[in-house]
Amino acid sequence: MNMSSNETTSLRPLDLSGWRKLPVALMVVGGLLAAVGAVLSPKEFGFSWLLAFMFYYSIALGALFMVLMHHLTDAGWSVGIRRFCEHLASLLRLPLLILFVPVALFSRQIYSWMTLDPAANNLVAAKLPVFTVPGFYVASAIFFGVWWLLTSRLCSLSLEQDQNGSAECTYKMRFHAGWGIVAFALTLTASAVLWMKALQYQWFSAMFGVYFFSDSVWVGLATIYVLAAILFRQGILAAVLKQNYFYFIGVLLLAFTVFSAYTEFAQYFVVWNANVPEETFWYLIRENGNWWWLSMILIVGHCFIPFFALLPVSVKTNFKIVIPVCLWAWVMHAADLGFNIFPALHNEGYPLQWIWLPLGCLLFMGGFLSRSFLNKFQAHPPFPQRDPRLLEAMGVNANVVNDLAEASVGGAR
Amino acid sequence: MSEKIYGLMAEFDSPGAVLHAAEKVRAAGYRRWDVFTPFPIHGIDAVTGQGNSLVGWVSLAMGTGAFASVVGLIWFTNAFDYPLLVGGKPMFSIPMTFVPAYIMMIMGGAIGALVGMLGLNQLPRLHHPLLNKSRFALVSRDKFVIVIGAEDQKFSVTETRKLLETIGGVHVDIVEDQD
Amino acid sequence: MADSLQSLEELKRLAPPAELRRAPVVEGNPNLGALTDKLSQFAEGKTPRWWWILFLPAAFAATVIFPTCLFYQVFTGVGVWGNNHPVMWGLDIVNFIWWVGVAHAGTLISALLFLTRQHWRTTIGRMAEAMTVFSVMMAGLYPAIHVGRAWLDWFMFPVPNSNGLWPQFKSPLMWDVFAVNTYMMVSMLFWFMGMIPDFAALRDRSTTRIRKTIFSFLAMGWTGSARHWHNYEKAYVVLSGLCTLLVFTVSSIVGLDFCTSQLAGWHATIFPLYFVIGAVFCGFGMVLVILIPLRKWCGLENIITKSHIDKVAKLTLVSGLIIDYIYLMEFFIAWYSGDPYERWVFGHRLFGQTYMVLGWMLIGINVVMTQLLWFKKIRSNLAWLFVIGLLINVGMWCERFVIVVGSLYQDFLPANWGKYMPTIWDIGLYIGTLGAFFMLYLLFVKFLPFIAISEVKGATPHGDPHHPLGGAKKGGHQ
Repeated sequence: MNMSSNETTSLRPLDLSGWRKLPVALMVVGGLLAAVGAVLSPKEFGFSWLLAFMFYYSIALGALFMVLMHHLTDAGWSVGIRRFCEHLASLLRLPLLILFVPVALFSRQIYSWMTLDPAANNLVAAKLPVFTVPGFYVASAIFFGVWWLLTSRLCSLSLEQDQNGSAECTYKMRFHAGWGIVAFALTLTASAVLWMKALQYQWFSAMFGVYFFSDSVWVGLATIYVLAAILFRQGILAAVLKQNYFYFIGVLLLAFTVFSAYTEFAQYFVVWNANVPEETFWYLIRENGNWWWLSMILIVGHCFIPFFALLPVSVKTNFKIVIPVCLWAWVMHAADLGFNIFPALHNEGYPLQWIWLPLGCLLFMGGFLSRSFLNKFQAHPPFPQRDPRLLEAMGVNANVVNDLAEASVGGAR
Repeated sequence: MSEKIYGLMAEFDSPGAVLHAAEKVRAAGYRRWDVFTPFPIHGIDAVTGQGNSLVGWVSLAMGTGAFASVVGLIWFTNAFDYPLLVGGKPMFSIPMTFVPAYIMMIMGGAIGALVGMLGLNQLPRLHHPLLNKSRFALVSRDKFVIVIGAEDQKFSVTETRKLLETIGGVHVDIVEDQD
Repeated sequence: MADSLQSLEELKRLAPPAELRRAPVVEGNPNLGALTDKLSQFAEGKTPRWWWILFLPAAFAATVIFPTCLFYQVFTGVGVWGNNHPVMWGLDIVNFIWWVGVAHAGTLISALLFLTRQHWRTTIGRMAEAMTVFSVMMAGLYPAIHVGRAWLDWFMFPVPNSNGLWPQFKSPLMWDVFAVNTYMMVSMLFWFMGMIPDFAALRDRSTTRIRKTIFSFLAMGWTGSARHWHNYEKAYVVLSGLCTLLVFTVSSIVGLDFCTSQLAGWHATIFPLYFVIGAVFCGFGMVLVILIPLRKWCGLENIITKSHIDKVAKLTLVSGLIIDYIYLMEFFIAWYSGDPYERWVFGHRLFGQTYMVLGWMLIGINVVMTQLLWFKKIRSNLAWLFVIGLLINVGMWCERFVIVVGSLYQDFLPANWGKYMPTIWDIGLYIGTLGAFFMLYLLFVKFLPFIAISEVKGATPHGDPHHPLGGAKKGGHQ
């Protein structure tokens, strides 16, 4: 550990100024592709846009989960990564709401149940108060309302503590994290069901919310690792990030690799084994054409490759291995979302000549969201300045921190 | 009964003290020495120069071995030796074998971890020269002991004793090796 | 890294406010010797009266009621229980799941909290592991005798035999055999390995020859060498990782026993996770029940501090919230799927006349009462926590009853409906297993190191080489 900190002090920060125009470039290229797609085929565009939206939505949710966990578990090490996680979670407010607008506009193209008559279809009728056009918009508005309330409270209190360092802020953040984790679970599940599972409204799986949660945290952690590594390398977070914190993130990434494999396996296995036609059709479609190949790629690439890559102890702090795994996790997560979303439209296999459209949407949103993330990041201190666990995060021995706290009490009296 | 010298032991009072002392023993160029503590001390591995423990590999080998053998067993019993058709499922399929094979992988891995740990530590053993020393019994209580083995090339009763005393060791004592 | 902070003043400015100080692992800051004395005191001292008061009834249940019910059932047949068509899984399976559940919290505390580096777990880990070991034993018993002909249990293992038959590996019940045996084996290994250094401590302290001999054998020549610790710690990490996987696997497989069927109320994709979390929740209830009296009667208030109990209560709350989420998902999917059978079953869980009391007990305890743990006042009141822990065990027992019987007694065909009532032999066997569990647990508390002596010492400032009390030359560096 000492070695690594010496290393970083000797390394000069990388010159990243050449990358500054990247978000705008992404927005232009992606935006053009998306616009062309929207003109050519509104349906194709709607599904692609939804995929890209769910992709970034899950990253933001993963970051929000880490913030909530930080407060709920009274963690010390995660102080350093908390601020940028808060910014990532804040994307759930305006930026992702803006990006949701096309989904709302194209909803009739995307969700087949919207065009069905409930009187003639008892599966839609069974879900009636929610599965109506106003029901869809009201529910979506509630989801964004919850995210707005939760993230704005957590972020503003965190910034407030930068100024005064009061314990009061910590208690308030813990309070919000308390109701927040309940709201998080419910809203995440409901939004995954309404926006993604409802694409094939006939299908149902109780595991779906947990599945989307585990994948969100998985890809969120991958993003956090990459951002933390960059900020560490640039020296911005060098004081509050230790090498073993990368180990912690790496372990969590490994754990969620296993957990997400667990949720997907459980869901598949229970459906496969019980062999009930109401459920199996969903997987049967996904054995058609190139969906079958995609499912094989997902088994290997979503589970086994990251698992074995991250398994050795020493690997987790090795940027040269973990960062590629994180980038790979993005690819796999996007592919997995495609596996969930697109067969509703193309149940004979994905027409690869359209692949540029989801890519364009992903690029456009990536540019848009990284711009708003960077603006937020630059406007505020890079890590919580007066967090009560800051010293611990800086690597000061916990027992010694306790003594210091006692000493400062003694001084005050 | 020949009485050989096993080594010299010195006692320390705190984990910090023994850590600093161990650093000095290492700096003095000794190779065959060890630290005995009531609990694992953070940072001692680097001082005694131990790399990653092999236990993980033993466990991995046992685990994968168990996984593969259960897959083989299920194929042999239910698909080859006595093909068994149940519920229209294939005689042999990956999802079916995964669960039992996986659980036995855990069993294999766990046994591998324990057996690997004991094997690498050369345990169980019924006797150890150090266990004859009455003060050594305090190691499991609150004392920290450095032992420099007589097999070390630099070992000499007088010089080594001097070193152990200068680095703060108390009750420096000869450990006999009875065979 | 403290060097980059300019001065002690800077450090003090960033120090947490006093109210947010980390609670110490052990209160009163005892030195290592005193701590060793304190922790081995109970195993070495005179047996107190409370121990006998608890032990004798437990031993009676374990040695009289238990074998009576067991042998009567084995000699007569499963018919002595209330199991009958259509409810072929009765209290035996309910209790099986319940015992597996009790086991899970122990593994989770000792393994997962170790991996997440929660130092406070050192004080309660061993007790939790023992809970695991003994309750898996009780759990494993039920399927073994539920088969009816317990002397043919060896059919379940792939033993070459003259009939040329093999076990049917496609059945989740078969996987249970592997899962429960593995769980028992691995949790015993984990438990035993953790005790090796403490056996050595008791060996070195022993005053009588018989103690010395026994603990010498158990310690297997442990000396506490840095090399030993190095391999030991690695093995501990590996075992912890495997045990964490086991927590998820064993109960998942028990869940698969149910959800791979097509029965309404059983077939849900969340069932594997449901059983895992239910198990953990139930187990935390049991941890509270065992921990709270034990710390008082053994005089361990400074070791198992109120802050530790508070953390266990928080974990109980977390697992309770997840289980509530899963209840919600079950009801939600019953509604969402539009499946009339699912809707019927879940409606009848709460409003069916036969078992609605159990259904509402489930809601009342697992959903409503658990929310009390949000309040710090409740979490710091040991009497409340003890009662809550006890009730959680009751609530989770009701949950298993509702799942097992509630789905079986009214399936797809109304002509096939029936009722289930446990008999005295069902209940007697349950009491017997409870007795056996507590008897084994009390023996463990009396004779073995029931707090991890070496681990607790390593978690105190005296055992920290980077702290002034642990002999660091200057504080504040790492």
